[in-house]
Amino acid sequence: MLVSLNWLKDFVNLPADTDGKTLGDLLTLKTAEVDNVIDEGESLKNIVIGQVMEIQKHPNADKLKLTKTSIGKETLQIVCGGENLKEGMYVAVACLGAKVKWHGEGEPVVMEKAVIRGVESYGMICASVEIGLNNPNEGPHDILDLSALKPEVGTPIKDVLHKDDIILEFDNKSLTHRPDLWGHIGIAREIAAITNNKFKPLKVDIKTLPTGRQVPEAGESVDVKVKNKELCPRYCGLIINNIKVGPSPDWLAKRLRATGHGIHNNIVDVTNYIMTELGQPLHAFDKALIKDGIIVRPAKKNEKIRTLDSKEYNLDETMLVIADREKPVAVAGIMGGEHSGINESTTSIILESANFKASSVRKTSVKLGLRTDSVQRFEKALDPLLAEEAIKRAAEIILKICPEASIAGPITDVQKFNKKPVKVTMDTQKAKSKIGADISTQEMKKILESLEFKVTEKGRKTKTFVVQIPSFRATKDVLSEDDLIEEIARIYGYENIAPSLPHLPAKLPLENTERTKKHRARELFSYGLGFDEVYNYSFYGLTDVKKSLLTESHHLKLQNSLSEEQTHMRTSLVPNLLKNLQENVKYFNEVRLYEIGHTYLEIGEYFPLEEKKICGIILTKGKSDKIFYEAKGCVESFIQKFDLSNISQASCAKNTPYAHPVKSLTFLDHNGKSLATCFMLHPTVQKNYDLDKYSIALFEINFTEALKLEPSKKSYKHLPKFPSITFDISVMVDKNTEVKKIETAIKNTEKELISNVKLFDIYEGENIEPDKKAMAFKITLQSQDRTLTDTEMSEAQAKIFASLKSLGGTIRGMNK
Amino acid sequence: MQETLKKLQQEAITAIGKADSLERVKEIEVEYLGRNGHLTFILRGMKDLSDEEKRVIGPLCNETKKTLEDAFAKKIKEFEDEQLAKELSKEFFDTTIPSTARPLGHIHPLSQVQEEVERIFSQMGFTVADGPEIESEYYNFEGLNIPKDHPARDMQDTFFIQEKDDEKHLPAGQAGGKMVLRTQTSPVQLRSMEKYGAPLRLIVPGRVFRFEATDASHDSMFYQVEGLLIDKDISLSHLKGVMAEFLTRLFGKPVKVRFRPGYFPFVEPGLEVDFSCLLCEGKGCRVCKHSGWMEFMGAGMVHANVLKAGGIDPKEYQGWAFGFGLTRLVMMRYGIDDIRLLTNGDLRFIKQF
Repeated sequence: MLVSLNWLKDFVNLPADTDGKTLGDLLTLKTAEVDNVIDEGESLKNIVIGQVMEIQKHPNADKLKLTKTSIGKETLQIVCGGENLKEGMYVAVACLGAKVKWHGEGEPVVMEKAVIRGVESYGMICASVEIGLNNPNEGPHDILDLSALKPEVGTPIKDVLHKDDIILEFDNKSLTHRPDLWGHIGIAREIAAITNNKFKPLKVDIKTLPTGRQVPEAGESVDVKVKNKELCPRYCGLIINNIKVGPSPDWLAKRLRATGHGIHNNIVDVTNYIMTELGQPLHAFDKALIKDGIIVRPAKKNEKIRTLDSKEYNLDETMLVIADREKPVAVAGIMGGEHSGINESTTSIILESANFKASSVRKTSVKLGLRTDSVQRFEKALDPLLAEEAIKRAAEIILKICPEASIAGPITDVQKFNKKPVKVTMDTQKAKSKIGADISTQEMKKILESLEFKVTEKGRKTKTFVVQIPSFRATKDVLSEDDLIEEIARIYGYENIAPSLPHLPAKLPLENTERTKKHRARELFSYGLGFDEVYNYSFYGLTDVKKSLLTESHHLKLQNSLSEEQTHMRTSLVPNLLKNLQENVKYFNEVRLYEIGHTYLEIGEYFPLEEKKICGIILTKGKSDKIFYEAKGCVESFIQKFDLSNISQASCAKNTPYAHPVKSLTFLDHNGKSLATCFMLHPTVQKNYDLDKYSIALFEINFTEALKLEPSKKSYKHLPKFPSITFDISVMVDKNTEVKKIETAIKNTEKELISNVKLFDIYEGENIEPDKKAMAFKITLQSQDRTLTDTEMSEAQAKIFASLKSLGGTIRGMNK
Repeated sequence: MQETLKKLQQEAITAIGKADSLERVKEIEVEYLGRNGHLTFILRGMKDLSDEEKRVIGPLCNETKKTLEDAFAKKIKEFEDEQLAKELSKEFFDTTIPSTARPLGHIHPLSQVQEEVERIFSQMGFTVADGPEIESEYYNFEGLNIPKDHPARDMQDTFFIQEKDDEKHLPAGQAGGKMVLRTQTSPVQLRSMEKYGAPLRLIVPGRVFRFEATDASHDSMFYQVEGLLIDKDISLSHLKGVMAEFLTRLFGKPVKVRFRPGYFPFVEPGLEVDFSCLLCEGKGCRVCKHSGWMEFMGAGMVHANVLKAGGIDPKEYQGWAFGFGLTRLVMMRYGIDDIRLLTNGDLRFIKQF
């Protein structure tokens, strides 16, 4: 919202030299955020009125002229190319130091003495675009001709053009809760309170106007019927006759322009003027186009209206409209209808100044997708008392600018609202305690009164205030003790609250194991296993669901989404990680990355199942399954790091559609519940993501489930007192024999003595039958109570050989 | 005899001292200690001495022999060391070849800063709390004093989950309303109040969502840190103190905190909180747009309606809440100028942290 300092001065005594920036900063610290302070005259500094005294040809350039231009105290030699340049002409002269935009383009540059084609030039005669003005009558090679204004030579141009205002731009968001600040009068009231200057309330007194221009006690009034008084607590209407629609006077147009409004005609401009001044939106109907008075009612089903923006809207029963006997003529509080709008031939108007229920206006506005200055104010909950003040003020101004106009009769005022003032009790001790500053009750009272609150003190020791809230703050904004505390705190000054630390018991915070372990997991994967962590969106598109072979039905879908890629809440971290791979293969031959994040699974209850997952992915160039075992190792490292016990492994990864059907493995807890999987990516998925040139292995860990497991307790075991014996053994078996089978067979032969069996080689190829492979194990024998003898070792070996032979294995060799 | 030994030793030591090569030392060694060496000759002559003479001369001989052996060994080692040093220095070895150590992976900058924030607040006794990312409208809005049709809902464009036909997804009771992707971490305030009651000291770092177009400084998903302190007698002064303490520790230099009025429906009084610009320390520079301050977060005293919704008696307890953008903090700390880099998985970016 744009606020004019000159306009504010109508309502608050401010020193003439008030600095806009300082005032803006003060408002930001005490009231609401001022984003920007624009000094209208700032850009016109050092630009003055000059008169062209003499014109000569430029010795070295055909299109340029050499002028002697007077700026009052001196006459300057200025080179100029303006085609309309004439002797005696009044022009805008940018003196040295002025800021101008060359030909109206680019950043402003500071004027310096220049030599133009060999001739010195001490300034510039400006075109209007060069000094940020707009003169439609100016040709493309013309300069600004100010002769018509007959200005005094040497006068700063900002004075001649009345560019003497300072505009404060408020951040609308910071005014959300303050309906009273949506007009100049409200801002002025705040400024009065925070600068200790006198507030000058609005005085509307139409009766003091010359005879014949008062609100008559009898005469023609608007016939108003309000069908739903809850949605329209007040409706004031007034008929003004003998209107002459025409352009607004300069003073009015200037203020509207300065505050960012378009200029239409005097009547419409007055309604905007009042809205900007008082915060109350008004509407004017052409009386001739309204059939038999005003009816405020809910719209009928399938009713339509074409509004002032020349668009047609479909209405429904939840929307409130202003109608005449035949049709809706305005959407209440939002926009008037085109049909009954003010036009050149309007002679009689019906002025509307009403109060509509905030939530209803807002709902309708959202439904219609129609947001206006009026909605912006009504949705904040306006003071019903303002409606009457505003309609009178509008009448006052219309009569001022249309001297022939006359008020037809009394104001129609249909109303149903609580006029009883709102009172709130405030404990001053509580106020002090919440602000954390020692503010005296005296000061609190003074602050509240400066904002027009009425304070009655109660109680002797612990003082309590009973505060009457002014009507313009009582609709929604100030309703409770805390609201009053805020008023005191901000005017007292947040900068005056000294920082301090609370005296709280040294209590240990509640433990959040999941959080701390998540950070430990990151250290494991990044610093231990060399993976890079990424963050992805929580959603993906239907294409990803299909490309990853997922089932759509388990997904929660977004009702509103930003793109086709972001429609489904992820049930797996995999699809987005695959997209990460697609991008990263452009720059890296090998990629290891992981993500820790939520997945959301539709389980037929109100809330979905939200679980934290860790998903890692390894990509290498070419075809090799080696990385499967790296992925497997990652899960094993995780299990070891977090001391998970009783974890077993089973082949295949269930419910993992994007996993290779065979090259996959599940890790189960003691209840057989899947905790983690690792797998090679399904070839189809690989192809779907254009990654078929690579080998891709993944692991997925259900972090939420893993943390539910009791970590195994560590206890010290004595170091072996007796030496161990190790020997290697190589056995040839069928190609499709699993290592686990042989390993178990070895272990089971001598459970007491074999302390470790470790595979160290698998060999296929030369010297081995094509359907066979050789596995080599290192076997450790260890006894807790004696040194093993050679005989014991030989016996153990013999048993192992026998056992392996019974499985169809052939012993290829043995090394001690 | 004694004289002879003494002289012999003297001669030998002098000869060793004069030796200019390993070969020469070895020659001298043979000359004295070799099979036909001078000392060996004397030792051999021992057998002709009387027992008494043997008793005196014997140890002296041995002593001389030991002294000479040590002197030879020392000199030989000197030459060998010198020789080795000479040989080693001739070798070419390139230490500039890149290392073969397995490169470390990288933890995402958001995770790193988040952990720091958690650690600092934990040290001040704040619990780190969590909540679901898919929330009910109740927890995300109504319970936080943002009723339907409240203009403040405009400030937070919301993602909604598609409604299902079954009863459980229809608006009902507390958990009612539609499901939304939480637009703020504030729902966890309410959930924690319900779960633990007062007093309460916690922070909630987490992922939030906004239905708004993505550009270099806006993303539809980002990270926030919510803070909540509820006890008796908690004031705005404490908020200033705790935030200054936190920021000073985080940035490793003194940071000041400034309050401005702000509006958030779940707090009253409501505040915008700025901190003194780290670059110019409040003097005004390009980074802080010449204000001396950086906009940081929204905060305020927890609204009585929110305390009530959380089952806490606002007459007995009071406190403050704040919410700042962790994502923005990360961007500020590392000078990241495009928010999308944090979520697009580009390892050229991640590997810088």
